[in-house]
Amino acid sequence: MEILLQLVYSGIALGMIYAVIAFGYQLTFATSDTLNFGQGEALMLGALVGLTLVDTMGVNYWVAVPIVCLFGFIQGAFVERVGVRPAIKIKSEFGWIMSTIALGIIFKNVAENIWGRDDLRFPSPLDESPLKVLGANVLPMELLVIAGAILMMLAVEFFNRKTIYGKAVVATFNDRDAAKLMGINTGLVITFSYALSSLTAAFAGILIAPLTLTGATMGSVLGLKAFAVAIIGGLTSGLGIVVGGILLGIAETTTGFYISTGYKDVPGLVLLLLVLAVRPAGLFGKTAIKKV
Amino acid sequence: MLCFALAVAVPVITPNPYYIHLVETIMIYSILLFGLDIVVGYTGQVSLGHAGLFGIGAYTTGVLLTKLGLSFWLAVPFSVLVTAVFGAILAMPALKVSGPYLAMVTLAFGTIIQILINEMTFVTEGPMGIKLNKPEIFNIKLNEEQFYWLVCVFLALSLIVVHRILKSHLGRAFEALRGSPVASDCMGVSVYRYKVYAFVISAGLAGLAGSLYAYSEQYISPNTYNFELTVLFLLAIIMGGRKTRSGAIIGATIIVLLPKLLDDIELFQWISTLLAVGICLSAVIAVVKKWTSVQSTLTPVIGTVCLSLFSFQLESITDWRLSIFGLMILFVVYYLQDGIVGFVVKLKSFTKPAEENNAQVLHTTSTSEWSTARSLHSSGSDSGELILEASSILMQFGGLKAINQVDLRVQQGHIHGLIGPNGSGKSTMMNVLTGIYTPTQGQIKFKNSSIIGQTSSSIALSGIARTFQNVQLFGEMTVLQNVLVGLHHSFKSSFLDVCFNTKRYQLEDHVANEQAHSLLNFVGLGALHNELARNLPYGKQRLLEIARALALDPALLLLDEPAAGLTAPDIVELTQIIQKIRDHGVTLILIEHHMDLVMSICDTVSVLDFGQKIAEGKPLQVQADPKVVEAYLGGSSPAIA
Repeated sequence: MEILLQLVYSGIALGMIYAVIAFGYQLTFATSDTLNFGQGEALMLGALVGLTLVDTMGVNYWVAVPIVCLFGFIQGAFVERVGVRPAIKIKSEFGWIMSTIALGIIFKNVAENIWGRDDLRFPSPLDESPLKVLGANVLPMELLVIAGAILMMLAVEFFNRKTIYGKAVVATFNDRDAAKLMGINTGLVITFSYALSSLTAAFAGILIAPLTLTGATMGSVLGLKAFAVAIIGGLTSGLGIVVGGILLGIAETTTGFYISTGYKDVPGLVLLLLVLAVRPAGLFGKTAIKKV
Repeated sequence: MLCFALAVAVPVITPNPYYIHLVETIMIYSILLFGLDIVVGYTGQVSLGHAGLFGIGAYTTGVLLTKLGLSFWLAVPFSVLVTAVFGAILAMPALKVSGPYLAMVTLAFGTIIQILINEMTFVTEGPMGIKLNKPEIFNIKLNEEQFYWLVCVFLALSLIVVHRILKSHLGRAFEALRGSPVASDCMGVSVYRYKVYAFVISAGLAGLAGSLYAYSEQYISPNTYNFELTVLFLLAIIMGGRKTRSGAIIGATIIVLLPKLLDDIELFQWISTLLAVGICLSAVIAVVKKWTSVQSTLTPVIGTVCLSLFSFQLESITDWRLSIFGLMILFVVYYLQDGIVGFVVKLKSFTKPAEENNAQVLHTTSTSEWSTARSLHSSGSDSGELILEASSILMQFGGLKAINQVDLRVQQGHIHGLIGPNGSGKSTMMNVLTGIYTPTQGQIKFKNSSIIGQTSSSIALSGIARTFQNVQLFGEMTVLQNVLVGLHHSFKSSFLDVCFNTKRYQLEDHVANEQAHSLLNFVGLGALHNELARNLPYGKQRLLEIARALALDPALLLLDEPAAGLTAPDIVELTQIIQKIRDHGVTLILIEHHMDLVMSICDTVSVLDFGQKIAEGKPLQVQADPKVVEAYLGGSSPAIA
C-alpha cells in the first residue's frame, strides 16, 4: 500500500509536467490551429540550458529559472518565425508539421553535439531527503514540480483573462480573421503564443530535470506523451489536461514498477491511440461541428 | 525505364560488393517509398509510422526464419501479410482523425513498435538483434549478386502493381480523399474504407521492403527502426517528388547516398560553398529582374551562407547529419514543394507548352452525349409518385434549431425549389438529406426506405447526388478524373483485377472513360477534360460539379446554389442543362437565390425561414404569399400594423 501511494505521488508529479507541456500545445492550437511537434525538444533545451547555468556557471537554481524561461520564450518565437509562419501563409498543413519536426530534429542534434549523448545528472536545489506524507515518501522536489506547474498554468490563464494582451490572444482564438479586422496583429499573437508555449515547456524542463536525468533524448517521448494528455483532456479544456496528465502519470509509474520500466511509455501511447480511435475530441473537449 | 536498366546492370559494371549492396538498399527503400507515397502523396496524410511498419516486416521475416525455419517463399508473403494487418490496425484511429492528429497517432504507433521490439526479448532477442542468412531458393543458397537480382525483380513487380493501382479507380479514390473528403463521401467513395485500403497497401509494401532488408543486411536490431528513419523516409518522398514513382526512386537514392557523402567533410564543404554561391547568384538575378523581393530571398541566402561558413568550422560532419537532414526538410517544404521531379516537370512545361494543347484536341472527337441508364427505369414508374419524403426534421446544434420540424415531399420527375433568406437552413437541409448531419429527430424516406443513420457514401450509392455551395472539387485532379471519381461505383473490379490488369478491369475502365467524356460533353466541358479542376474558372467549376454528380447516375440530384457567381449567359446555359437533366428522368432539388431561375423552371417551391417552412406550392402561389414577401423584404405583418 505504501509503495502504491508513493507511486501515486511520483505519478502526480510526472503528470503535472505532462499537463504543463500539454498546456503549451493548447496555447498554439488555440491561436493558430497548429502544434509544435518539437515541444519535447523545447523542454529538453530548457533543462540543458538550466544545467549549464547551474552546474557550469554556478548560477543559483532560482535565478536560473527565469533565465531559462526567457530562453524558451525566444526559442519558441524562433520556431514560429522560421517553421510555422511561412506554412500558415501558404496554408499548408503538411508544411508546418514537417517544419516543426525538422526544427525539433535540428535542436536535438545540436544539443547532442553541445552536451553530448549521455544523460547528465541535474543537482537538486532542494533537500533530497524524502518527507513522509500519509505514510509514504515524497521528495520535496516533487512538491515543487506540482506547485510550479499549477502556478505556471494559473499565471497564463490570468494573463489571458485579465489583461488586454490576453484578450487579443483569446480573440484570435475565437476568430482569427475577425480579430485581424479589429486591428489585432494576429501574426504577432501567434508568434507570442508559440513563445509562451515554449516558455512553459522550458519551465517544465528545468522543473523536472532534478527528478530525472537530463539529456538530448529526454524530450521526444515526453512531448509525445504530453500530446496524448492534450488529446485525452481535449485540446480546449484546461481542467482536462490536469486530470489527463495525472491519470497518465500514475498509469506510467505503476506500469514501470509492476511490469517493467521498459514498458512504462506504452500505456500513454496506447491510451492516445484508443482515445483518438473512439473520441477524437478528448474526454473533456467539445466535438466540433464540421461545416460544409 | 533507363534507370531500371542501369540498376540491373550494376553488378555487371562493378563487382564491388559495397556498391552492389548500396544500390540494393536504394531499391529496397524505393519499394517502401512507393507505399509511403500512397499515404503521403495521394491521400495527403502524414505518416510517421512507416519505420515501425518497416521494422515489423523485417522482424517477421527474422523471427519466422530463426524460430520456425520457414523458407523464403513463405517468410516474404507472411511478412507482407502481417505488416498489412498492422497497417489496418494503424488505420483504425486514422478513420476518425487526420492531419496533425494522425501524424501524432502514427508517431505513437512507431514508438510503441520500437519499444515492443526492444522489450519482447523472447520473440525478438531485444537489443541483441537477430542474425540471419541470405535465402535459399530451389536449394541454392543465393550469394550477394544473385540476391541483388531478386531484389530487382521485386522492385519491378511492386513498381508495376503500384503503378496500376494508382492509375485505376482505387488510385483516384485515394487522391479524392485528399482533395475533399466530404465530396468523396458524397460521390459514394467511402473516406473510411479507402483510407484503410491506402494504409493496408502501403503497409504491405513496407512489409515487403522490411523483409528484403532483413535478408539484405543479414542482421536486424531494434535501433534501425527509429524516428529518424521515419523522418528520412518522409524527406525522401517530398524531396524526390510526391505522386511519382521516379520521385520515390530519386528520394531513396538521396537518403541512402547522402550519409555516405556526409562522411567526407571536404566534399561537404565544397558542396555547401557551391550551394551558397549558387543561391546568392540566383537571388541577385531574381531581385534584379524583379521576380521576387529582397525580403523573400533573404532567408535562403543567409541560410546557405551560414551553412557554408559553419561547415569550415567543423572537424567532422557525421555528428551533424541529422541537422543537415532537418535543414533539407525545411528547404524542401518551403522552396521545392513539388520535389525534384515536380521541379523538372515544371521546367519542361515552361519550355514546350504547345504539346499539351495538341493532346487536348485529340479526345474531343467523341461527341456522344450523356444518356443515362436511369432514364429507362424511371420512365416505368409514374411521375407524381413521391421519391423523397422527409417528415418533421429537427436539426439542433447546441441550443440552435437550424431546422425546426420541416416536412419536405419531393415528387418523382419534378424540379423542387428550396428557397429562403440566408441562414434559413437550406444548406443544413441538404446536409441532412445527404447524411453529412444526422438529424436530431425526424424521418427521411428515399424511394420508400429510410436513410436515417446511413453514411453519406451509402446514401450517395443509393441514388442521391449533390453539388456544394462552396465548390468541393478535387482540385489537384483533372476535369476528367473528377468525373471518373463520380463513376467509381461503376467499377466492380477487385484489387486483384487491377494488379493483373484483367479483361474485366480494362473493359470497365474503357466504359467509364466513355461515360465520363459524354458527361463532360453534356455540360460543355468536353474540350477541357485534361485541365486541372482548380484551374477552371468559377462558373465552369460549378458545371463540373454537376457532371461529377451526374456520374453517380442518381435518381435525385441536389443542386446547392448552382447559379451563384455565374454570369447571365452562363445562367441561361445552366437553365438548359437543368431542364435536360430533368428530361433524363432525374428528380432535382434546387437551392437558389436567383428568383427568375427558380420561378421559371421549378415545379414546386418550398420556402424556409429561420429553420421553418413558411410556404410551399407552385412558384406563382409562393411568390404571392405575404409571409414569403415578409421574409425576404422584412416589414411587420399586416395584423400588427
